[in-house]
Amino acid sequence: MDDLRLVERDVDTQDIKIAARKVQVFYGDTHAIRDVDVDILDKTVTAFIGPSGCGKSTFLRCLNRMNDTIDVARVEGDIHLDGEDIYDAKVDPVQLRAKVGMVFQKPNPFPKSIYDNVAYGPKIHGLAKNKAELDEIVETALRRAALWDEAKDRLDEPGTGLSGGQQQRLCIARAVATEPEVLLMDEPCSALDPIATAQVEELIDELRQNYAVVIVTHSMQQAARVSQKTAFFHLGYLVEYDETGKIFTNPEDSRTESYISGKIG
Amino acid sequence: MNDPHITSAFDRDLEAIQALVMKMGGLVEVAILDGAKSLETRDVELARKVEAGDKAIDGLEMRINEEATRAIALRGPVAEDLRVILTVLKLAASLERVGDYAKNMAKRTSVLAELGSIQGTESALRRMAREVQLMLKDMLDAYIQRDVTLAQDVRNRDLDVDQMYNALFREFLTFMMEDPRNITACMHLHFIAKNVERMGDLVTNMAEQVIYLVTGEMPEEGRAKDDRTPYMTALD
Repeated sequence: MDDLRLVERDVDTQDIKIAARKVQVFYGDTHAIRDVDVDILDKTVTAFIGPSGCGKSTFLRCLNRMNDTIDVARVEGDIHLDGEDIYDAKVDPVQLRAKVGMVFQKPNPFPKSIYDNVAYGPKIHGLAKNKAELDEIVETALRRAALWDEAKDRLDEPGTGLSGGQQQRLCIARAVATEPEVLLMDEPCSALDPIATAQVEELIDELRQNYAVVIVTHSMQQAARVSQKTAFFHLGYLVEYDETGKIFTNPEDSRTESYISGKIG
Repeated sequence: MNDPHITSAFDRDLEAIQALVMKMGGLVEVAILDGAKSLETRDVELARKVEAGDKAIDGLEMRINEEATRAIALRGPVAEDLRVILTVLKLAASLERVGDYAKNMAKRTSVLAELGSIQGTESALRRMAREVQLMLKDMLDAYIQRDVTLAQDVRNRDLDVDQMYNALFREFLTFMMEDPRNITACMHLHFIAKNVERMGDLVTNMAEQVIYLVTGEMPEEGRAKDDRTPYMTALD
């Protein structure tokens, strides 16, 4: 039957990239994430879905310690990247974020040239020995983000001069330039039109060859289109985590069913 | 259909499509009963009515297909909503086939009315058709009530229809061997019997579709079947 499958929908690998156990997040007195256990697979797109305030973005931000930047936020539990505790005192969050890159909701290029936007990360992490190497890194990153053809003749122009969709792909190029192992995306398409969205989605699928991608999205259709695994969050709990096809045809939990089909649950 | 949708228009659409399926099912039930009745009572006028009625059934299938396509395009149904849409499409296609078989029965009635009765077989056919109509009715009830137990019961009752068909097959064979003048009528009656047996199979498939709708999985375990006619000979 395998050769009759139209599209390769199954997860290709079962290698666990990030393992989270009993994760709790508190914002002051608010208990935002409760007892979340999840295994994020390598070379897989994992979608986090759920209503606003359910904790999906908060949890995403735990994965590269972005919550460290919020004073009142407190994270408990274990999160391991390739078996190593990312909250260990020895771990430098800046190094961690080079390994676990992030793309945000709104494209946020630096007010610098397209080239410098992409070159910034590799420079501060010392990934290039000379200008030629840096040029190569920038080109590879822009190609991976499917922006090279559009940007190659205007590398010196400001990144902010690109269209919204191009800016978001520039941010993705910036994120992949440091050769991350995991890419976190927090609603990367919510500010984009359908064409730019389709380009970014196509890109996400290609990025899966090299990275584990975790995407937070409010669009059910997008989660269904791009991901192989889907996690549904509700009121700080991880309610259901399964193969995306299963979640969207026959979810186990009635709260998942209600949410994805737009029912008053 | 437990919880309502936030977009209430989606609920109205889904209910409207399902109402069309129930209406179609009702027309097919009547076609089966009237077709079998016209056969037994040699009522050519009733047979014509059944034939003409098939248009309405076909028209409903088209309506259901259009509405389902629209719902897919506009609402992007998932989970149970998606299974509802897939199920109405399959039910409509199967009901249309059952309706065609009923129409075919009515067509043959017009020919058979000119020929002598083959004693007892017409009433046996009518009992068989009645059994299938009851299966269809229960399948539709199981569908609208999301009742897996009832759907399973329908699925198991196909065995009775198969056995009735086996018995009729033997009888026709016997009548034809006894007197070659019975052959024309018996050939037509056998086609009718075979078609009613196929109706039973289609109703069984629909019952399985109802189980899929409710549980999200097609029933796997085998069910009892007893169509032995592929192996029967005149010497049996």
